[in-house]
Amino acid sequence: MIHLAYLDAGSGSLIVQAVVGGVAGAAVAAKLYWRRLVDRFRRQPTDQR
Amino acid sequence: MAISRTGLRPDPGSFRDPANRVYHLGEDVLRGLDERAAAEWRALVGSDFFPPLLATGKVCGTEAVDPALVGGEGWAAVLRHERIPFVSHPYEWSFGMLRDAALLHLEILRAALPAGFTTKDGSAYNLQWRGTEPVFIDIGSFTPVRAGEPWAGYRQFCQTLLYPLLLGAHLGLDFQPWLRARVDGIEPDQMRRLFGGVRRLLPGVPTHVHLHGAMQRGNAGASTADVRNQLRAAGYSHELALATVRGIEKLVRRLRRRPAASHWVDYQRTCGYTAEDRAAKERFVTEALTAGPPARLVLDLGANDGRYARLAARHADYVVAVEQDPAVVDELYRTLRAERERRILPLVMDLTDPSPGGGWRGVERASFADRAAADVVLALAVVHHLAIGRNVPLPEVVDWLAGLAAPGARVVVEFVHPEDPMARRLLANKPEGLFPDYRREEFERLLTGRGRIADRLVLPSGTRTLYRVTADA
Repeated sequence: MIHLAYLDAGSGSLIVQAVVGGVAGAAVAAKLYWRRLVDRFRRQPTDQR
Repeated sequence: MAISRTGLRPDPGSFRDPANRVYHLGEDVLRGLDERAAAEWRALVGSDFFPPLLATGKVCGTEAVDPALVGGEGWAAVLRHERIPFVSHPYEWSFGMLRDAALLHLEILRAALPAGFTTKDGSAYNLQWRGTEPVFIDIGSFTPVRAGEPWAGYRQFCQTLLYPLLLGAHLGLDFQPWLRARVDGIEPDQMRRLFGGVRRLLPGVPTHVHLHGAMQRGNAGASTADVRNQLRAAGYSHELALATVRGIEKLVRRLRRRPAASHWVDYQRTCGYTAEDRAAKERFVTEALTAGPPARLVLDLGANDGRYARLAARHADYVVAVEQDPAVVDELYRTLRAERERRILPLVMDLTDPSPGGGWRGVERASFADRAAADVVLALAVVHHLAIGRNVPLPEVVDWLAGLAAPGARVVVEFVHPEDPMARRLLANKPEGLFPDYRREEFERLLTGRGRIADRLVLPSGTRTLYRVTADA
C-alpha cells in the first residue's frame, strides 16, 4: 500500500512519540538508535575501501 | 475566491490535503473525495467507532450526497456536512476552549486507533464549536492506520494545541497572539527557549518540548519513510501508539490556566449601573431583539460576563460574544459550558484589532469582518472605550458597527455621555479638549447617516442613551 499522508510528520516527531509512550516505548527508541549505531559500524569498512 | 457558474465556491482554507476539498453551495457545506478517500469514507461508516461519534455530535453531522452536486470537479464521492453557525479560529478561543478542543481531538483519536483508524493530522483547525460544545469537523482526516506507525499528526498537535496550552499553564502567557501570527503554530525550537532552567522540568516540557526539539534537530536529515521503517523494525506497536495518546491526554487534563489579575473580571460589578438602569437596559435590548424577525446571528461586542449574550440567545438562533480579555472569556466559557449552552460562542478579540485574514494569500483563515454579517449587533457600553480609550474617531466607530450588520439588520448601541463617571474616568487620562466630537448630538447625527433610529432611551441615571438603529439596506 502506498502511503499517502499529505503532512510531513517530521522524523524527530515520530521517534519522540516512542519515548513518550513509557518504558516499552523508550525500549523501542533505544533499539532504533542501537540498530542505527550497529549499521554505521557495519557499513564503515566498506565505505572506506 | 473562484465561483463557478453553479455558485459552487471552494473553501479557501481547504487545500492542504489533495485527497479531498470543501466547497460551499448556498447554505450547504460539501466535501469532494477522491477514489481512495471515498473508499476510506465507506470503511469509516462501516466501522464501529465512527457512528457513535457522529450520533453524539462529537464529529460534525455528515452524510453522503449525490456527487453531481459538485459536478465537474472530478470527485468520486461527495459528502454534506452540518453547517457550523459561526466559524472561529483557535486564536479567538480562550484557554479552556483550546484545552477542551485538544481533549476532544485526543478522545477521537483514542476511539479511532483500536478500530484500525487514525487521523492524518492533529491541527487545532480540525475543530469548531456549536456554542460551547467542540466539534471535530475534518472528516477527510480519518484514514486506516498502518501497523507500527506513530501518529502523523503529533507534531501539528504539539504546535497548534499542546504548546499554546503549555504557555498558558506554565508561564501564564496568553497564547492567542502566537497562534494568530503563525498559521502552523509554535515550533519546538521556539518553545525550548522559553523553558530554560528549572522550567525544563515542568509537566510535559522535558519530553514534548526539549526532547522533541532535540530529536527534530538530530533527525533533520532522515526521511520520515526511513524513520517509519526503522520504528516498525524496532517493534513500535499499536498498543504503544495508544499509550502515547493516553499519555498526552493525561498531561492535557492536568493543565490549568495560571490565573492573572484581570481588570475586566470585576467590570460588571464595578461599572456603576443602578438596578433601575440595568432593568431599563435589559427591557430595551429585549424589545430590540423581538422587534423584527428572529435573528439568526447576533454579535455581542464587548460581551464581558455575557449578561446580554444570554438575553439575546433567548430570541436568536446563535450569539457570538466577543470580549478582549482572555480571562473574562475563559470565565464565561466555563460558566456557559457547565450549562451546556450550545447557542452562545464566546470569543477572545480586541475590537480595535480584529482578526485579520491569515494563512496562504491571507484568505486561508477568513478575517473577522468577512465572517460577521449579523442580524443584530449589540454594542453596549463599548463605544466610549473605542472613541475615548483608543482614540478611534466617532464616525469610524459608527461605520464599523454598520459594516458588521447585514443589510436591514438592527444595531443596538449605547452612548455613554461625556459627563458619565465611566466616560469621565477615561477622559481624565487624555488631554482636555481632545474629543470635541464626543457628544450625543454628534453621535445621533452619525447614526442617522447609516440607518434609521427606530428607538431610543435615556437610562434613568441620565448619563447613558441607548439606540436601536435599523441599518440601511
